[in-house]
Amino acid sequence: MGLKQKITDFSLIHYKLITLLMLVFTLALAAFIPLIKVDTDPENMLAESEPVRVFHNQTKQKFALSDIVVVGIVNDKDPHGVFNTSSLAKIYELTEFAKNLRWTDEKNPDKQIGVVEVDLLTPSTVDHIGQGGPGEIKFEWLMQKPPADQDAALQIRDKALSNPLLKGTVVSEDGKAICLYLPLTSKDLSHRVYKELQKKIATFTGDEKYHITGLPVAEDTFGYEMFIQMAVSAPLAMLTIFVLMLIFFRKLILVISPMLVALVSVISTMGLLIGLGYHVHIMSSMIPIFLMPIAVVDSIHILSEFFDLYTKEKGRKKTITQVMDSLFIPMLYTSLTSAAGFASLALTPIPPVQLFGVFVAIGIMLAWLCTVTFIPAYTMFLKESSLANFGLAAVHEEKQTWLTKLLHTGGLFTFNQAKPILTVLLIVLAIAVYGISRVEINDNPVKWFAKNHPIRRADIELNKHFGGTYMVYLVLDDAQEKTISYKYINELRNRLLNKTIELKEQFPLPSDSILELENKIPELSESAKTKEELLTALAAFAEEKITTAEDRDIDAWYELVDFCELEKEGLKIFKHPDVLRYISRLQNHLQKSGLVGKSSSVADVVKKVHQELIDGKPRSYIIPDSSAAVAQCLLQFQSSHNPDDLWHLVTVDYNSANIWLQLTSGDNKDMEKVVNAVEVFVKTNPPPVPIKYNWAGLTFINTVWQDKMVAGMLQAFLGSFLIVFIMMAVLFRSPLWGIVCMIPLTITIVVIYGIIGLIGKDYDMPVAVLSALTLGMAVDFAIHFLQRAKTAYPQTASWKSAAADMFGEPARAISRNVLVIAIGFLPLLAAPLVPYKTVGIFLCAIMALSGVVTLLALPSILKLAEKRLFKPALQPQTPACNCGFCLIISIAAVLLIAINIHQYAVVGWSKLALFSIIAIPVMALICGIMSRRQKCKMLETQVKEP
Amino acid sequence: MKPIHIFIALIALSVFLFAADSGNKETEKIPNVDEIVNKANLVAYYQANDGKAKVSMTITDKKGQTREREFIILRKDLADGGDQHYYVYFLKPADVRKMVYLVHKHTAQDKDDDRWLYLPALDLVKRIAAGDKRTSFVGSDFLYEDVSGRSLEEDSHELIETTENFFIVKNVPKDPDNVEFTYYNVFIDRNNFIPMKMQYYDNQGSLYRTIEAQGVELIQKFPTVVKALVTDLKTGSKTEMQFSDVKYDIGLDDEIFTERYLRRPPREAIR
Repeated sequence: MGLKQKITDFSLIHYKLITLLMLVFTLALAAFIPLIKVDTDPENMLAESEPVRVFHNQTKQKFALSDIVVVGIVNDKDPHGVFNTSSLAKIYELTEFAKNLRWTDEKNPDKQIGVVEVDLLTPSTVDHIGQGGPGEIKFEWLMQKPPADQDAALQIRDKALSNPLLKGTVVSEDGKAICLYLPLTSKDLSHRVYKELQKKIATFTGDEKYHITGLPVAEDTFGYEMFIQMAVSAPLAMLTIFVLMLIFFRKLILVISPMLVALVSVISTMGLLIGLGYHVHIMSSMIPIFLMPIAVVDSIHILSEFFDLYTKEKGRKKTITQVMDSLFIPMLYTSLTSAAGFASLALTPIPPVQLFGVFVAIGIMLAWLCTVTFIPAYTMFLKESSLANFGLAAVHEEKQTWLTKLLHTGGLFTFNQAKPILTVLLIVLAIAVYGISRVEINDNPVKWFAKNHPIRRADIELNKHFGGTYMVYLVLDDAQEKTISYKYINELRNRLLNKTIELKEQFPLPSDSILELENKIPELSESAKTKEELLTALAAFAEEKITTAEDRDIDAWYELVDFCELEKEGLKIFKHPDVLRYISRLQNHLQKSGLVGKSSSVADVVKKVHQELIDGKPRSYIIPDSSAAVAQCLLQFQSSHNPDDLWHLVTVDYNSANIWLQLTSGDNKDMEKVVNAVEVFVKTNPPPVPIKYNWAGLTFINTVWQDKMVAGMLQAFLGSFLIVFIMMAVLFRSPLWGIVCMIPLTITIVVIYGIIGLIGKDYDMPVAVLSALTLGMAVDFAIHFLQRAKTAYPQTASWKSAAADMFGEPARAISRNVLVIAIGFLPLLAAPLVPYKTVGIFLCAIMALSGVVTLLALPSILKLAEKRLFKPALQPQTPACNCGFCLIISIAAVLLIAINIHQYAVVGWSKLALFSIIAIPVMALICGIMSRRQKCKMLETQVKEP
Repeated sequence: MKPIHIFIALIALSVFLFAADSGNKETEKIPNVDEIVNKANLVAYYQANDGKAKVSMTITDKKGQTREREFIILRKDLADGGDQHYYVYFLKPADVRKMVYLVHKHTAQDKDDDRWLYLPALDLVKRIAAGDKRTSFVGSDFLYEDVSGRSLEEDSHELIETTENFFIVKNVPKDPDNVEFTYYNVFIDRNNFIPMKMQYYDNQGSLYRTIEAQGVELIQKFPTVVKALVTDLKTGSKTEMQFSDVKYDIGLDDEIFTERYLRRPPREAIR
């Protein structure tokens, strides 16, 4: 008695125990669910130690940058846009409100969290630097109070437009709209701030429209709505599936069982995840929705077959035993392949995806266990009488169902038109391959919201008016040699000499006194490690001289101290005019390319202050010629209300600068274009001094995890494709059958991704994750079909009659599954979140395509290759004795290992190819030896003899 | 903020403090609030007829990074409690050396201060427009108004408490729209009338800024603040000012406080 028989019998005999066990198991795990800890931060797609995240956080620290909520106010009715007294009064009020959006941190009662008041970028919290009277420079609040009349309102507009730091940022280029930038202590407060702002805005009346967006809001709100969706969509899908099954099988009491299997597997998997202390991330919140279709598929097969085979005479126990006998193996393999597909995600370098993959895989195996034990047990609870009028036989007598008729015709069609069917499929495949070549890899978390979602609308509207709501930071660091070279010493001595000559003209200074300092240079450079240390030592030496020198020399020594100090300041490259001009050129280049909506840097600050210091005219909007002049301009900037604003753009030591880029699109492909543009610029225009650059900002981080995701998914996919193939080859004891089994799956996947390419849908995070689902589910029907075909064929030894059988019950089970899952998940299309829609469409497409392809392609292939596939079976032979089989499996295994090694170790493809080339002949040799073993020879003779 | 300015100015410039009359506390009659603020104003900003001090300023941000400023400040009074002139000459950072601020402070209600700026690297003399004086003083946590003083007329004053050591005066701006504070309290030393502490409150009624005198010395008989600290509770930034080389009644020439001397700093300013 085989294992399957044992399990089924046990379940049938101890059905009460099985049910109790399942109940206890589920409830025990369910008890953990209330401990749920939610993590909605897409940044966590990357491990905390990921270099880009580390750098991003360092940058935020270094330049005191916060994640920003963007609030745009637009007034289309007023000819001056929002620049009227009423709109500005509301904007002022909203700003005052936003200023105080602060709460006590629950984790740390001494700390306040919320909006960072001092860094607010709004009309009433920024300075206007401009001309006062003639020859006067003026610092004032841009909008200290709401204006009293229209003139004052327009003045505010003109002032803001005159400041390149505000134009396109706080005030739209067309002078019609205003943006408020609200920095947060932590981005996970975005949704809270968003809700509070909405409440406040609801109290306003008037023509103004308010838009709130920005990646932090989008990401945080997405996480929030995602969990709502989890609670809405999953049950809704379940309900639909339930209704569909009821239509097919007509017995409420029976239809409940797959629902229970789904519930048990979803609840225990989530309970296990939470119980093991993992956070429920955006990815893992999708576990229920992925698990549900997979969990019910097997039960539908059972129910379908049970429905078809059941007769009153046979009774439930005998029927279920018969059903389990024919379905046990296909169900085991479909579950294993689905689980393998998801488990392969554990090989991607993205922690939440790994977690997701592993737990879906666990859930699938739980569902399988539950299906093979609980479903038979469940039938034992049913009274024979409650199954009255159940089953195809009962229905049959009334009328042939449309499904049965359709499938019968379809069966004949595949038999008669095998070649044309395969030709058409090949053509479709070719088109799909072309489609795949056009797939565009792109993502943007804001686009995870449906087009009519307020955040999406805000995104569209604001990016039309402003420089962009997507923030990226291009960080430039001094990469100069810090240590002292001979060249440097020579240059320093030369400069000092020149200074001496200058001083001699100014003061009656004996030259040997000055030479003393110059002569100190080589001596001091011995002990000094860096240029700065050397200059500090020189300055100290000169300072010392002030106290001891003769009176007439004192002035000169003061100058020399100053010389050393100035040299030291000169080491700070982001005060150098040529470096600042370089930054400006880079900004202009990006601006002109149209990729960047707006950029701000310390160079802009210097130019603006310089302009207003000189005469306020556009021609003075330049970087002055000396570092000292730059420093003096910057000190003037610091004489404003917000002196610390400077430190968002440059560090206090002037060794790093930050170019704040605003993009109107958060699409990863657009971000990548910006990255490329900078790379090309820096290559063709080397900076005046060695500078290295790096990127930070959420918009950039998204591109990094996208890259990892796409590459990781692709490799995980290839890996699981190979695993599934190996499993199929083993299942059917033949690589040829394994290949045939992979055909519907391959066509399905190629066509689905081909369509994505053809219709221009971006290959984004949800689509990437769904490839795992596709793989796992698309192979299911092929397994069922081929397994059944293999057992059906020997009975008649003719495909023609076997095909007729196949288009009976097995095809009906497949079709019912297709319909239940495909339609069951259509309610997801109503979700306001795009990934949910994507899942809905995908499930529908996977089921429909793989179902249709299985039912069309497989019978056609079986017919055309009947002889080759159904040749006298070598049943007794074990896989290890079949040399060719062994070899193919070995090659697949080598490839599998290569793919996985590539993902983790830093080994290039060429090296891996080399290893593989060596590994495969070795494996071939082993295969050859194994197949020539005595045991195999005996088996062979056994086969030949009878 | 405005009244505070006066006091801040006191602190910053208290280099010029006057000698306080130190009457017996027990028998001393508590003066009325106007008398107190007047005296405090004089102590803080009008000690002697003129004065000079070298100021080292250390700005420490919330990350603990520091920036240094060093300047020499010259002051000459035209009338006690009335107009006065300031000349601020920068020594550090080296690349702003020789930069000068010149202020003609006018206490008359309708007359704004005159302010000039000299930037040596651009060889540029520029007037700073009248108006808001509650902007940062060279990037520090001190405000312009803290340095040159806030007119007593701009606030209404109320003696809210008299402790053993201090008169605590609450100052409410008469024109709240032009300042960022709602009111501020000043702790005035009962002995010498030096404002020892100022606390600024915002429109939420929470304390967001303090100025403290952390060291007082008697210099040429004038009690003088030699160390002051501003703390901005919102930004987490602090600025410490240390006064050295404090001298009173040095006989500064009126000429020094004119535009001509911006480009050619007087000897007193350089060392």
